[in-house]
Amino acid sequence: MPPLFTLADVSTMRGSADEHVHPLSGVTVDIAADRITVVVGPSGSGKSTLLRLLNRLEEAHDGVVSFHGRPIGSYDVLELRRRVGLLQQRPTPFPGTVLDNIRVARPAVTRDEAVALLERAGLGGGFLDRRADELSGGEAQRMCLARTLAAGPEVLLLDEATSALDAAAAKVVERTARDLAEGGLTVVLVTHDLRQARRLADDLVVLAGGEVVEHGPATRLLRRAKDERARAFLGGSS
Amino acid sequence: MTALAAETAGRTAVPVPPVWGIALTLVLVAVTAYVAVDQRLGLARDLAEAVVRAAVQLVAVGFALRFLFEHTGIPGSLGWVAAMVLLAGRTAGGRASGIPHGTRIATAAVGAAAVGTVGLLVGARVIEATPRIVVPMGGMVVSAAMTGATLTLSRIHDEVASSRASVEARLALGLPSAEAFAPHLRLALRAAIAPAIDQTKVVGLITLPGAMTGLIIAGVSPVVAIRYQIIVMYMLLGAGTVAALVAARLAGRALFDDAHRLRRIES
Repeated sequence: MPPLFTLADVSTMRGSADEHVHPLSGVTVDIAADRITVVVGPSGSGKSTLLRLLNRLEEAHDGVVSFHGRPIGSYDVLELRRRVGLLQQRPTPFPGTVLDNIRVARPAVTRDEAVALLERAGLGGGFLDRRADELSGGEAQRMCLARTLAAGPEVLLLDEATSALDAAAAKVVERTARDLAEGGLTVVLVTHDLRQARRLADDLVVLAGGEVVEHGPATRLLRRAKDERARAFLGGSS
Repeated sequence: MTALAAETAGRTAVPVPPVWGIALTLVLVAVTAYVAVDQRLGLARDLAEAVVRAAVQLVAVGFALRFLFEHTGIPGSLGWVAAMVLLAGRTAGGRASGIPHGTRIATAAVGAAAVGTVGLLVGARVIEATPRIVVPMGGMVVSAAMTGATLTLSRIHDEVASSRASVEARLALGLPSAEAFAPHLRLALRAAIAPAIDQTKVVGLITLPGAMTGLIIAGVSPVVAIRYQIIVMYMLLGAGTVAALVAARLAGRALFDDAHRLRRIES
């Protein structure tokens, strides 16, 4: 099966032309469909930047990012973002009720559809009329997940989406991610938590210093990574 | 009344304070200076500079305006207002550091407010197109517009700095940048316009505004003076709102690129 995303020699730049840094440098990697790909690496290694390239919240300075074999820039960016949903690190409830939040993503959603989305994200229908800003951190993050799913994405990007949650709430989001992947959604997850990577990853991408130092099936990399930096990270963080 | 005062006031028969009377008001400055020094506020130097600058600026402006009124007519007056717009745009733009093209946006906002409000009133013949009307009215409009633009841009800056994740959450749902930023733009507009509304509510109760005070001092009946003041208050409200709206719309566009990405700004 052809890869869903292809990054070919991709670099990003932040700052001015005179004074800048490259969060990612010469990244080449494929991301397969219908699997959970986990991107790991130390802080500042460019994990979130890589993720944000996939829904064009970041732009490649050099190289090409492709989606379904087409350069990502050739898609209508708003349509692309509905197809490639993102759940951020911290919950971002919008004003109003949980239903109001879901309607931001899908204005015509019915109450029954909204309840189904909440249940898919591990929340009950009883939350529908609750004020979004009164939810706990875990509940708010699951509401944000339901809101992201409301747009009907085929890919779900999770940017350290459980790092601000307690263990129980994180487990629920993880289980939901696994269920979604089994239901045919492609999941790309960024984490610095290697135990989480072990629990979830079908494929692993290991970043260090803005470069991909290893990528491939998680079972192989976790057992025997070739690159020294990958070995140091995968061994040291577990 | 001194000879100088009589000569100065000759044409309008306005009672003008004598020079020694102006000098006497330095006693009030001395009170402020005493408090600044006695309370060790560290403001004595600023105070001295402010007092001298105010006197020098006002004398210069007085002579410049007299020249303008007597020799340059409407073109000179419009030039004067245009210069005020540029200065106000620069000042408001300085408060918008980090917003791309902040000074240009602020200048456009103040300019639009000045042209819109003064143009409407002159066009509708509510006020006369004479230097004596256009320059002071233009000055008040520019000042109100500058405040509106400054409040809007500084709030937008704060919103971007504090709510980037929320804006990007909306963008990530496929919303266009204008929709994604709309709630934050509304907060900025509200922050800019609410003080002007409050000021309009209490006008005459807490303070007697400048235009009305000036007319009353010049001997005009208060019942007549309020006509001007009502025009001025509504004009200032409109000017502040137009400036805030233009600044908000332009900043809202400048903050995003063509791919609906929120640009990084300096904090």
